Amino acid sequence: MTQGILLFCFDTEHTKYHKILERCVGLIKKNIKLEITVVTNFQTYKKLKPLGFINYKFIEPEIGNTKEGKPWNNVDRHMAYELSPYYKTVVMDIDYFCYSDNLLQLFDTDYDFLVPAQAFDLSGRNSFDHRRFSQIPMVWATVLYFKKNKEVERFFKMVKYVKDWYPYFIDLYRIQSRNFRNDYVFAIALQQYKGFVGYDKFPFALSTLPPDCEILELGDVGVKWKLNDTVNYINDQDVHVLNKEIPHD
Amino acid sequence: MDIRELKKQSDLSYDTAVAKRNALEKAHSRQVIAYNGFLFRADPETICLVRTLKENDSRFFVLDTNDNPVEIRDPADFLNKLIARNQEALNAYHQMYETFTRKGD
Repeated sequence: MTQGILLFCFDTEHTKYHKILERCVGLIKKNIKLEITVVTNFQTYKKLKPLGFINYKFIEPEIGNTKEGKPWNNVDRHMAYELSPYYKTVVMDIDYFCYSDNLLQLFDTDYDFLVPAQAFDLSGRNSFDHRRFSQIPMVWATVLYFKKNKEVERFFKMVKYVKDWYPYFIDLYRIQSRNFRNDYVFAIALQQYKGFVGYDKFPFALSTLPPDCEILELGDVGVKWKLNDTVNYINDQDVHVLNKEIPHD
Repeated sequence: MDIRELKKQSDLSYDTAVAKRNALEKAHSRQVIAYNGFLFRADPETICLVRTLKENDSRFFVLDTNDNPVEIRDPADFLNKLIARNQEALNAYHQMYETFTRKGD
């Protein structure tokens, strides 16, 4: 049975996502040690430095989505099922940096699909309570685990359906953000598909650094950041970094 | 103690509290363990439950972190793995904690 990590990476005119991918891949190779497949386009691929053994799948990203007025190519996550070459897959955002092997535990389970429902604010301000911004609890599509079977294939068809009719669903669930967010796409799809009852979740919160934390160092063992003239750091813990201004080598 | 020193002490206390909170969350994440295809938390509650049930029977059922029932057929193995993971996570937390206490010196 094959297992691996699936990543999506598309540069935009404002953000060099390929630089973030290079850091992300290095940490996966060091700490997770599983095969990696990167979904990208040729324009992004040609800027990448050699990353060793990596599978690439080329698609043209669906454009049109924005974040804070800038292009945001994040609409293609619904294709993860068909693009993954693995029986068991972890799909993750490239700004999720694996400083531990905690995610390996997921591959030793028989779950069909797992998603994190909570994020932990490393800046100590509990700023990720998004419950009041919609009528359904949000999930964090930053990291998803799934295995391939008919059930999960049907679920991803539901994800695609929600993606196609997203403007309708964000009105239905009174979601405050008007741009396209995979967090809500998967939350809506899970709620619809699972009969509005419940679904299996990660038993831990995603440690996350809010966008106003300035990243000082993204090292080999951890992250150092600055907020309000205070410098803090965390080592050996997976971290989701929301500020895309990441120092490069 | 002048106001600058007070502020410095207050900032230090706050930073230490945040770092301690983050280290504890890291320990909680590390306590997650896969067994028999399901996920468990290697916390005191699970360890005590497994130990108690183990005294009574050689096979029993427990709930995983998503409330799915799981049959445990080798309680000793499960308990050993839970304790090992629990202590690994807390040992790392302890090392971090030591740096906090030294910070105030």
